[in-house]
Amino acid sequence: MTYILEAKDLRKQYADKLALRGLNLQIAPGEVFCLLGQNGAGKSTTLNLFLGFVLPTAGAAFVNGLEVAVNPLKIKEHLAYIPEQVMLYPHLTGLENLALFSSLAGYKYSPTELVEYLTEAGLPVEAVRRRVGTYSKGMRQKVGIAIAVAKHAKVLLLDEPTSGLDPKASNEFSELLRRLSSQGTAVLMATHDIFRAKEVGTRVGIMREGELVDVRPTAALNAQELEQLYLTYMH
Amino acid sequence: MRNFWILFSYEGRHFRAAKGLVLLCCLLLATGLYGIYYGTTEIERQRQHLATLPELTRRNVEELKVKFPGPADAGDIGYYHTTFAVHHPDPWAALSLGLRDVNPSYVKLRLLGLQNQLYAADNTNPMKVLSGNFDLAFVLVYLFPLLIIALSFNLLSSEREEGILVLLLAQPVGPATVVGAKLAFRISVVLGLALALSVVGMLWAQVPLDMRVVAWLVLTILYCLFWFGVALVVTALQRTSAVNAVTLLGVWLVLVVLVPSLLNLGVAAARPVPQGIELTIKQREEIHAGWDRPKAQTMNRFFALYPQWRDTTSIRERFVWRWYYAFQHLGDQAVAPQAAAYAHRLQQRYDLVEQLNLLSPAINAQSSFNALAGTDLPTHLQFQRSAARFHDSLRAFYYPFLFRKVEFTHADYAREPTHTFTSQPELGTAYGGLVKLLLSVAAMYALGAGLLRLRPISPR
Amino acid sequence: MMDSIAQKEFVSTLRDRRFAVLSVLVLALLLAATLVGRASYRTLQQERQLAQGTVNEQFRNQPARHPHRVAHYGSFAFRPKSGLSLLDTGVDSFTGSAVYLEAHQQNSVNFSQAQQSGSLLRFGEMTVAFVLQLLVPLLIIFLCFGAFTQERETGTLKLLLSQGVTLRQVAWGKIWGYSQAVALVVTPALALAAALLFTGEEFSSGVDLVARLTLFVLGYGVYFFLIVVGAVVVSAKQASSRAALVTLLGFWILGCIILPKATANLGASLYPTTTKAQMDAEVHEEAQHGINGHDPQDKRSAELKAALLKKYGVDTEEKLPVSLAGLQMAAGEEYSAKVYQQHFAALNATYERQNRLSDWAGLLNPYQAIRPLSMGLAGSDFAHYVHFQQAAETYRYNLVQRLNQLQADMGYGDKERRLDASTWRQLPVFTYQAPPLRWVLPQLLLPIMALLLWAGLLSWLGLRLISKTPVA
Repeated sequence: MTYILEAKDLRKQYADKLALRGLNLQIAPGEVFCLLGQNGAGKSTTLNLFLGFVLPTAGAAFVNGLEVAVNPLKIKEHLAYIPEQVMLYPHLTGLENLALFSSLAGYKYSPTELVEYLTEAGLPVEAVRRRVGTYSKGMRQKVGIAIAVAKHAKVLLLDEPTSGLDPKASNEFSELLRRLSSQGTAVLMATHDIFRAKEVGTRVGIMREGELVDVRPTAALNAQELEQLYLTYMH
Repeated sequence: MRNFWILFSYEGRHFRAAKGLVLLCCLLLATGLYGIYYGTTEIERQRQHLATLPELTRRNVEELKVKFPGPADAGDIGYYHTTFAVHHPDPWAALSLGLRDVNPSYVKLRLLGLQNQLYAADNTNPMKVLSGNFDLAFVLVYLFPLLIIALSFNLLSSEREEGILVLLLAQPVGPATVVGAKLAFRISVVLGLALALSVVGMLWAQVPLDMRVVAWLVLTILYCLFWFGVALVVTALQRTSAVNAVTLLGVWLVLVVLVPSLLNLGVAAARPVPQGIELTIKQREEIHAGWDRPKAQTMNRFFALYPQWRDTTSIRERFVWRWYYAFQHLGDQAVAPQAAAYAHRLQQRYDLVEQLNLLSPAINAQSSFNALAGTDLPTHLQFQRSAARFHDSLRAFYYPFLFRKVEFTHADYAREPTHTFTSQPELGTAYGGLVKLLLSVAAMYALGAGLLRLRPISPR
Repeated sequence: MMDSIAQKEFVSTLRDRRFAVLSVLVLALLLAATLVGRASYRTLQQERQLAQGTVNEQFRNQPARHPHRVAHYGSFAFRPKSGLSLLDTGVDSFTGSAVYLEAHQQNSVNFSQAQQSGSLLRFGEMTVAFVLQLLVPLLIIFLCFGAFTQERETGTLKLLLSQGVTLRQVAWGKIWGYSQAVALVVTPALALAAALLFTGEEFSSGVDLVARLTLFVLGYGVYFFLIVVGAVVVSAKQASSRAALVTLLGFWILGCIILPKATANLGASLYPTTTKAQMDAEVHEEAQHGINGHDPQDKRSAELKAALLKKYGVDTEEKLPVSLAGLQMAAGEEYSAKVYQQHFAALNATYERQNRLSDWAGLLNPYQAIRPLSMGLAGSDFAHYVHFQQAAETYRYNLVQRLNQLQADMGYGDKERRLDASTWRQLPVFTYQAPPLRWVLPQLLLPIMALLLWAGLLSWLGLRLISKTPVA
């Protein structure tokens, strides 16, 4: 079968640190893959390598069969990314920010459609036309989600996406991920939240010191096993 | 390319939202307009001053006609009659005043020795010339780089520091496009402003429509592009906004302030000009020795140089004008090598700066603007040569009266030659400056592009 | 408490690599400017002393001549450079260095540095004053822009205040610390300059020089202090380091580049002056026809002749014991010099009016207060230039009148005779004594007041502003 995301012996050496030591990973369409691990385990580096923000020292990352380092722009058409902290142009409204980022991705939406994406992501309708400078962290996160959804990407890359959200919004977000994956979108999510990972993930991978030390399907794990696994590798 | 234009148009929205920058642009626009106003009024004032000179000559002639009601000895007329060699500004001078406030725009001339008249200074307020001219060239050369720095010091760093860059670069848009669009927007704002000011200045000063319009505009564009190139290089180094601001201002300080002042010191040390004072002293000595020398000796020396005025009568009187003017003339002859050396040395100084100004595009731009406007040293030297030729023609006019002993009548005043000189642009210098500027621009963009290639833009 | 903050700022400043690089650069520039200043001072001074010596010798060694010939032969006055002008050349480069002194007319002072350079000179001159006035403030800005913003950004401000220090104490501590750092950069160069001034045999050292140098140092001390305080105040009032830096740089550009030029140009536009040609024509006109037009020269000459004939009780010029031409020449010179002085005074009054705009701007802009103070103390400002012009004119007038007197004493028929060569050795040659500090001080009161006012206001109002700044 074809994988939408694939890492082949991916290594990343920074000046002072070996961040990733030969990562191999395949993610199929519709899969929700959760990367678990401590800070500095290599989760963000993995995401950055798929995004082409950093170039691998050795090995290669592929998106939809295209090597990232070779097609840095093309692969981004297939990717949507939500950083841990979504930061937007503060003097533009949520709507305008969404319009900007969607248009860069090649989508031209009517205002009604834009409002729809934003409200679907959970942004209160009255906030849509307010400047982002007045938004809370959670509201910006929702605009970030709307930007990702409106891009209709084949892959969603998430870096601690729920860290700024309240429990209600987190649940809504999980719901959204399930819906997207059922439509065939693949999700690669770096997170600390093992319970959320168990809830939405189809597989979890545990990273430690730049290596993927364990990969399990979540269906085969119950919560206690997962926690046990996590603690084993974390300490 | 589509994304380039999207980013470009959004840059416009970001720009409008940054009230401070809009205000800054408006301020610079106002400053530029003041510069144009000042330059044009200054040149207008000089024109008015020059326009009063014929009136002064006319009054002088009136006075002489009263003093010498009948036919007079031309020697008396030559002694008391003053006329002017005038240096009219080119309309372009209003945009780049150059040295027009330092160097006199006219020389008052009598038939006496030229060299002690040629270097007379006009009334100037030294405090004012010290502070310099607030003309359009100053605004373009000095202040526009500062606007460019203010607009571009956080070209990417602000997006990075605000954390927006990750989201931006997660879209299918390359860093080069992002930098390019941002730079292009700022370039269009600044160039729009600079070109608008230039055009307003040209219209206001009513410059003739010739190649210089194009040359000025291209110079302006290249000079602004150079500073954007510097901003690009600094952006490519990917430091924080504060470091960028300090770096860019440092570059400005070095190129606009330090290099010129150090270069000035170097040139003054390498090419001293003691000749001016030397020649003045020597000429006085020569001329006044003329009084004490035997008249025949003076006349023979003079006739050896100018056989056409030779006559057979020897001078027996205690004083005759033709003898007087002969030793005045010989005084000039005696210091001719010094005078030539003085002018040559000044030109050498200028040429040395021309050779070295590749070090600083600011000097290059300023001297190119001055060259276009004909307001720099070479033009003044040209004027001095022209004034010297005028003085020669005055001699040629008076000598027949003196040596052929013809009486000077009232009708002869009108036959006296007059002088006019209008600044000519130094097109060679200006085009040379253009080429050098082009080199500087190319070097900057090559360096910037190289750095960007070497170190990909980091989104965080 | 304050001392420990000052100590902390001083130490951390010295450890800051950026500051080290910048200050070494500024120090190097200062030292270079001092040495270059002395070199160019020497060159120019030697050039002018040599020229003055030459023309003085030439004057003394004239052959037997008629005194009026000597009056036309005249002399030159070369403007000597003042000792402190090696620190601040002021307007020296834009004023001429040599004036030809002759009978009947007052010539312009010619051969200025500016006329002998291209437009390069207009970018500014590298002198000690230039570094002190423009570059040290920049250094201070880079040093101080983060004084409060950085503490706020890193959260250390709250920590400091929780120790029981007031904001005002923090501010004074910082000001004191930064001031020490600035002093460290500036002092060596000034010490070198002072050493050069007091050891160089070409400088007339003395109380006057010491006083000038002391005031010079004090003036710059106040200038730097107020900039440090201003920068710290701005840093406290701005939300971020970036905003503080941009604001301070904006002030620098406005104060050091735009305002001085704008006020000078505006002054020149507001109070126009006439050309030398126009002025000479007017002087000639008034000397010929009388200042009011009712007292023409012919009439004055005739009256003088009648008065002389009456005085000596004779009926013809031939019988006069004095030369009528000599006395008429003297009277004419007296009259035209008076007319000239009026015009010259009016012209200088206009220039002073033009410059006053800039002087008053010193109340708004400290740079425009230190600049006149500095060049006034260095003896290179406009007032000193005018003093030289006046001295040259006084010498010219006295010389010409002495020669006219010599001519008058020759009696009738003087034109046929000459005076002995030894006569010229008895005439004084031109020597110029620059005015003492006492003379220039009253004109420097405005800039001194402006600087003190700035320092006082900033210390008082600025610090009050700081103490009212919200911490969180």
